[in-house]
Amino acid sequence: MRRASLINALRRVLRGYLFTIAGIAIGVAGIVALGAMAERIVRFIEGGDRFVLGQISVAGRGMGMGAGFTAGGLLPAAAVEAIRKVDGVAVVQPQVMLPLNPSTSQFMTLTQELVLGMDLSVPSPNRHYRTLPVQEGRFLREGDRRKAVIGASFAASRRLAVGSRLELEGQPYEVVGVLERMLTAPDRFVIVSIEDARDQWVSKDRLLRTVLASGGVALRAQDLNTGAAVGWREGEDPDVVARRIRDRVAGVNVQLPSELSSLLRQSTAFFSALLVGLGLLAFVIGGLSERVRDFGVKRALGATDWQLGGEILAEALAVTISGGAVGIVLALALGHGIDGWARRSGQQLFLFSPRLLGGTLVFSMLLGAAAAAYAALRIVRLSPAEAIRRGSAA
Amino acid sequence: MPPETVLTARGLVKRFAAPAGAPIEVLAGVDLVVRRGELVVIEGPSGSGKSTLLNVLGLLEDADAGEVCFADRPVSTLGRGAKSRERGRWLGFVFQSFLLLPALTALENVLLGARYTTGVDAERRRRAMALLERFGVGERRDHHPAQLSGGEQQRVAFCRAVLNDPPLLLADEPTGNLDDANGEVILESLRARAREGGAVIVVSHRPDAAHGAHAVYTLAGGRLRPH
Repeated sequence: MRRASLINALRRVLRGYLFTIAGIAIGVAGIVALGAMAERIVRFIEGGDRFVLGQISVAGRGMGMGAGFTAGGLLPAAAVEAIRKVDGVAVVQPQVMLPLNPSTSQFMTLTQELVLGMDLSVPSPNRHYRTLPVQEGRFLREGDRRKAVIGASFAASRRLAVGSRLELEGQPYEVVGVLERMLTAPDRFVIVSIEDARDQWVSKDRLLRTVLASGGVALRAQDLNTGAAVGWREGEDPDVVARRIRDRVAGVNVQLPSELSSLLRQSTAFFSALLVGLGLLAFVIGGLSERVRDFGVKRALGATDWQLGGEILAEALAVTISGGAVGIVLALALGHGIDGWARRSGQQLFLFSPRLLGGTLVFSMLLGAAAAAYAALRIVRLSPAEAIRRGSAA
Repeated sequence: MPPETVLTARGLVKRFAAPAGAPIEVLAGVDLVVRRGELVVIEGPSGSGKSTLLNVLGLLEDADAGEVCFADRPVSTLGRGAKSRERGRWLGFVFQSFLLLPALTALENVLLGARYTTGVDAERRRRAMALLERFGVGERRDHHPAQLSGGEQQRVAFCRAVLNDPPLLLADEPTGNLDDANGEVILESLRARAREGGAVIVVSHRPDAAHGAHAVYTLAGGRLRPH
């Protein structure tokens, strides 16, 4: 009997608030979708964070790292050697990073397709990625030539798998490994040996070819590096080591691990929360305000402030939870639909994490409660006659 | 032995702020006594303050001065919660625009007051159903207000007002939105309520509302004048 009356009460609330729930659902769907995109961005930043915080990145001074790791100047072997000698440095791995297709804009995935040439004779200096996680096949070994390990997005967009052939700067490469999806930069990488990357660089860069052919500049193969990943000794502060490199080695740009700002991450989360908050508050307060007259009638019939407050709170929670749940389902359907389409080109736009979904629901509830408290205070301040008058005039 | 006094109002004053100039005094010292079994009709031109008076008597609005007592007990000075409880215990309201809750069925609307006062048990439900049957809207119990005619809505509103058997019924232009036939049904129900021992105050501009009334007043210049 009690259960039946509870179900009836819930039905009544949902029926009375149908449009409000629909509004909240659409709002929450939009917010969850935005949040999922933000999560995707945050994951990208976190992945990048994790990668950057695991090593000191050094590039040759050119257009600078602000223009991309690939747009730096040369980091010659002498500079690599000088870095190696800096106190606190444990290991230096020369690298070549080249844009695979400089004309492609990859704004939505926040990264480009890149060729990363690694000096495989040197162990990975990255404390967080001693090896990149391979989903299929294997990672590169010292001595590998014309072999490539590719990122998950790159593999999906080109329909490549272990054993596939890949042509880079006119040369055939065999795919020997596909990385796990990391939702960060390496997803769109083609990793090859540094020797192969240097060949591609020379083949790609006409100016460099001309300079080398002229013999005017004494360049050896080992000088063709765009940067280096630097590992620090146990117990050393990486920021201190990075500053030391910057001070002691001329002609380099050094990225301090701690310089990676969390501003974007924080602002994304804040912006999403702000949108959720404003949207829900407007819907809940709007929905309750439409029923000022009803609350006036209830008070005329004997409802006390506490009874009305409890009722308003229960209704607001029922409405926000229902609207939130429907919105989450809508957003999931929408996001998975769009991602299914985007995946064909190797992209993923949304990341629906449990944190996002749970957080949205809890946030909806808290806001529902806050909105209910605000609306209840406004309503009980009115005399029943005034509430009826205002509601009737609306 | 004189009939039991249900409501006493003494020196009620109510002013409203005017857009410019001095406040408008809508009630300028209203005195009124209503006893069990009495039907009191208050007439007056539009804007004379009839509804305001009813709101003040029903504790829906505070007076600026004066006192309202239920059975000689002052209630106009109580706090909000206590006033709500007194309303639930003493009063039933019938409004001109019915004021049924659109999301509730007819039966749920009738039971609404009980939800906040006595609680809704099987006995209340039976009584609500019996009232709806008695007023010819039993078959419409599961309909929502939008699915009912004006006359049916007012009959449902009347059932809601009397469900808890309140000592005093306040009806503000209860026939204002009804045709003659439906209006007569409601007026007769109010008269019957008084005959059964309840006290009833009706605000109406309808001439036949005064028929069968124990007292008829005109509200003019902020004061009640007996006919």
